[in-house]
Amino acid sequence: MTQPLLLLVEADLLVRTPLAEYLRQCGFHVLEAFDADEARQALAKPQVAVDVILADAEGIGENGFAFAGWVRANHPSIDVVLTGTVARTAEKAGEICADGPALTKPYEHRLVLQEIQRLLAARDRRRKGDI
Amino acid sequence: MVPKTEIEDEPKKILVVEDDILIRMLIADELRDLGFQVVEARSGDDAVGYLESGSHVDLIFSDVQMPGTVDGVQLARRVRVALPKLPVILTSGDGQPPDIGGALHFVPKPYEIFHVVALVLRSLGLVGGDDAP
Repeated sequence: MTQPLLLLVEADLLVRTPLAEYLRQCGFHVLEAFDADEARQALAKPQVAVDVILADAEGIGENGFAFAGWVRANHPSIDVVLTGTVARTAEKAGEICADGPALTKPYEHRLVLQEIQRLLAARDRRRKGDI
Repeated sequence: MVPKTEIEDEPKKILVVEDDILIRMLIADELRDLGFQVVEARSGDDAVGYLESGSHVDLIFSDVQMPGTVDGVQLARRVRVALPKLPVILTSGDGQPPDIGGALHFVPKPYEIFHVVALVLRSLGLVGGDDAP
């Protein structure tokens, strides 16, 4: 069985990475893009047959709604899910997992959110020093 | 075709730093297929931010020329100071970067993915070779 392909568009690596791993645990093949421009480059590849896009509504280089409109016009078979806050993004990822292939038992999206918040807080603390 | 390799129970984590999404996708997918956990960064700044979060990585594979304030050589220098045993593989189409010591390796662009995979495996000591620790 082919894994459904999900394109995750999120600028912050500390948010995107745990979410992408979570969605992979749910059975998706996940591509990661930092912004709408990167997402378009990925979508332009004929062999990249994306089923679902999970994108931040802001912070991806352009308005997320404009990007969603572009996807609907150019790739009408792709479902687009827009998110706002980190909490909302994790919640949407949880909903996608619940409706997804579930090749392995999905874990609670709140745990993913807690991990993201921990990483963001740790980065902010260490920004005062070096790596 | 890259031979599949048995990875340890706990997957090694590789930080791939590359600003071209098509190249990044290709190398990240290949490494994931081999059983590695892959973190994708688009710039040296992103990579530094990830390391600043305290997240552990086992190896960094980074382009040299990237947007932002930290290029691949600068990233390698910072890692050399903060995490001297962490293997770093740099890649560039503009010739070999300066030798900054430490566990630094270089792959010229354009590269065949199996060359990168072989160097990753050797650098992590997963196969024999001069680069194995």
